[in-house]
Amino acid sequence: MSPRLVKSEAVVEGRTEERWSLVEDDHTPEYPDGPSPAPIGVAAQRLTAHARLTGSARYTSDIQLPGMLQAAILRSPFANARLTAIDAAAARAVPGVRAVLTPADGFAPGGSAVLTDAPAYAGAPVAAVAADDRDALAAGLAALAPEYEELPFVAGIDEALGRQDFTADPSEYERGDPDAGMREAAASVSLELRAPAQMHNCMESHCAVAAWQGDELTTWISTQGMFAIQAELADAFDLDLERVRVICEYMGGGFGSKDQAGAEGLLAAGLARITSRPVSVVLSRREENLDAGYRAPAQFTLEVGAAADGTLTAIDASAVIGMGRGGWTPPALEPVKSVYRCANVRAAVLPVRQNIGSPRAFRAPGVMEGVWALENAIDELAAALDIDPLELRRRNHADGDQATGRPYSSKNLLACYDRAAELAGWADRDSLKADGGRIRRGMGCASQIWWGGGGPPAYAEARIGKDGRPVLSVGMQDLGTGTITACAIIAAERLGVPVEDVRVHAGDTRLAGHGPFSGGSMTLASMAPAVRAAAHEVREQLLALASDRFEIAAGDLTLEEGEIRSVDGTLREPLTEVTGKLANAWIRGGGSRGPNPSGIAVNTFGCQIAQVAVDTVTGMVTVERVVAVHDVGRIVNPMGARSQVMGGILQGIGFALTEERVVDPTTGTSVNPGLEDYKVPTIADLPEVVCEFVNVPDPRLPTGVRGLGEPPIVPTAGAIGNALAQALGVRLHEAPYTPRRVLEALGG
Amino acid sequence: MSVRVEVNSQEHVVDVPEEWTLAALLRDRLGLTGTKVACGEGTCGSCTVVLDGRPVLSCLTLAAAVDGAAVRTVEDGSPLLERLREAFTETDGFQCGFCTPGQLMSALALLERDPSPGRAEIIAAMSGNLCRCGAYEGIRQAVERAAGATA
Repeated sequence: MSPRLVKSEAVVEGRTEERWSLVEDDHTPEYPDGPSPAPIGVAAQRLTAHARLTGSARYTSDIQLPGMLQAAILRSPFANARLTAIDAAAARAVPGVRAVLTPADGFAPGGSAVLTDAPAYAGAPVAAVAADDRDALAAGLAALAPEYEELPFVAGIDEALGRQDFTADPSEYERGDPDAGMREAAASVSLELRAPAQMHNCMESHCAVAAWQGDELTTWISTQGMFAIQAELADAFDLDLERVRVICEYMGGGFGSKDQAGAEGLLAAGLARITSRPVSVVLSRREENLDAGYRAPAQFTLEVGAAADGTLTAIDASAVIGMGRGGWTPPALEPVKSVYRCANVRAAVLPVRQNIGSPRAFRAPGVMEGVWALENAIDELAAALDIDPLELRRRNHADGDQATGRPYSSKNLLACYDRAAELAGWADRDSLKADGGRIRRGMGCASQIWWGGGGPPAYAEARIGKDGRPVLSVGMQDLGTGTITACAIIAAERLGVPVEDVRVHAGDTRLAGHGPFSGGSMTLASMAPAVRAAAHEVREQLLALASDRFEIAAGDLTLEEGEIRSVDGTLREPLTEVTGKLANAWIRGGGSRGPNPSGIAVNTFGCQIAQVAVDTVTGMVTVERVVAVHDVGRIVNPMGARSQVMGGILQGIGFALTEERVVDPTTGTSVNPGLEDYKVPTIADLPEVVCEFVNVPDPRLPTGVRGLGEPPIVPTAGAIGNALAQALGVRLHEAPYTPRRVLEALGG
Repeated sequence: MSVRVEVNSQEHVVDVPEEWTLAALLRDRLGLTGTKVACGEGTCGSCTVVLDGRPVLSCLTLAAAVDGAAVRTVEDGSPLLERLREAFTETDGFQCGFCTPGQLMSALALLERDPSPGRAEIIAAMSGNLCRCGAYEGIRQAVERAAGATA
């Protein structure tokens, strides 16, 4: 059969994208029913461990090239201003300064200006300098001596909403008759909730190094989407795609914020072209927190009604999203439409414009804070109805995607509830409240929904040579989640070799065909089938060669533990008995991700239960224990999967307890762009975590794998909020739950 | 300014500007880029190195201050650091790895000072090292494991 093109849908953080997908002949068998064949599902150490633990892993900011210049960006200190003077000539005259760009130079690769003389947020790029070293760079930046005329600005969601200035048209979703549903309700609750701006604070800031050779551009960049950057740079500098190489071998976290070339990438390439020297741009921590995105703050209004038996009759919700100058509106009310069965829903989203940098996707953007808001309301409703909160959730289980009417490919949320309740001791939760002394305890739950089905295109190539060590080339980057190790596990199963024998090449657009953006929990669900198919092609050829060599039918041979074995046990020869004859020849295989099934919604689910302790004198909240049970399809590496859950829970704890960008209303600028005042969780904030997976392979997806990057952050803050409400007997309506807010809620 | 410093048991005499930090000396003069600078203002712990047995923030330590001193970084080959590496690998005590050199150095300094620290001591010693991926459970277990192997 010759290849054919089909359309396939993939959901990327709530946006359904239609993609053409080339369907190739693929004879790779699916996994057998029952437990995953080893090493799938067996805890494996990270293949990147040695490099990352010895300092030999080279991250973008470690790249040092001969003649490389350091560049930096001059940014506006004002929330809104007009640049009235800047001394480019003085900066150019500084010894060691090699290039200066100001707005007058019209640097606008791809048509949009990178530098502005009308900076409309603090941190907006105004000028850039490239110099021989940091000292010359600092002197050059100082010599620019910019002068500004300050202009009025808009800071805060309330003021922005009052101006009715939107970054995108407000949207209103409606199904059924929410007003009639609310009239039918035996009980209803109404809540207003405020979610903070949460900053990514990847430990590695945004950075890029660019070098030109003739009209070919190589860019090292800390990115979650090297192919997207390749396309962006090719467009910006009017180059053929193949003339742009993007490399991101090791990356220090992204969490959604590293999805574009950014000013740093465009300026590195632009300044490198102007100076004919390699250029490095590394953002400072403060730049990072001014101009590299954040989880958009939101004000939620929710009214939820239910019949006496708990059946939801209506949800009426609105979310005012605190955007910056523009950017993508996060799907903050998606959970309202999808988590629970409800025929009558209204959901209005109003993205308002402020004089602040724009938000970017942050781990489960929109959905995490939307679930936090919805789950607070559902718990209030449970109290109003006097129904156990978990039981209320069970009663409103949604069997299919209600917005589209599509069935789910696989959903085991009820099993998650049951197991989480058992592990948490939910039945005894009321006994936690105990004596009403200084320390009060509570337990709360929340549900998780997210996408994570992945989709085409994703390519992998596998090969094996005389040493019998498979090499895998994949068109993806590993932002630290462990996808490289997961790919090795999948290949190792087909090739019957130890996982650590698989060498994985990733993080370079020249290695293999297009691969997924490492976001939307798409990576492994996209890559796994491609890797499996590539490895399977190699396996088939190995078995055919072994069949000739040992005169045993290929169907009677298998590959296990680095050996070729006959199924009857009479033959056990090392793999090198066959590969050793290859000399400099290779056995090669290629694989690609096929299309997604049509007419099916692919989602991930889960439940977390948090136990908190509150000191009613200091107002300090401690998360003591979190039980997490997630339904994300087949688990490839249980150790890596647990680590993803730990990471999501800790960032959820940060959102719930300590993390909040604070904007000074008198200046419109963030007062905590550093890690001294913006508090991310530390090792002292680590709770006991009990983590399990349903581990039911998705029957509608090749390999049965769904994504896991985002799911674990989704329910954490909601579970903490509900636990806190149980502990205190009063609900806090604004996160993070700081000591001040706790004490205020207690009337202190 | 000339600085004589022993780094990972090797003597170096390097000429650096007076205002340079130890982090810059290590990364930009000696090419030891394992030490990471994630905030540059002493708030995250990523740049931690061991200076004469004490964990210090190399982004806040002037190069001039290490004249005549002994510095150890993540590139060091000492048996205790190797044990910590094994433990971090076994417990999955890192994800992206950017904060990891600093975590290893804080742990190394702790275990050299106190070969069998309790959990509270470990948390206190490691609480200045931020990990945004949230690998803290593995980090704590790794230090406990390496301490157990030491004891």
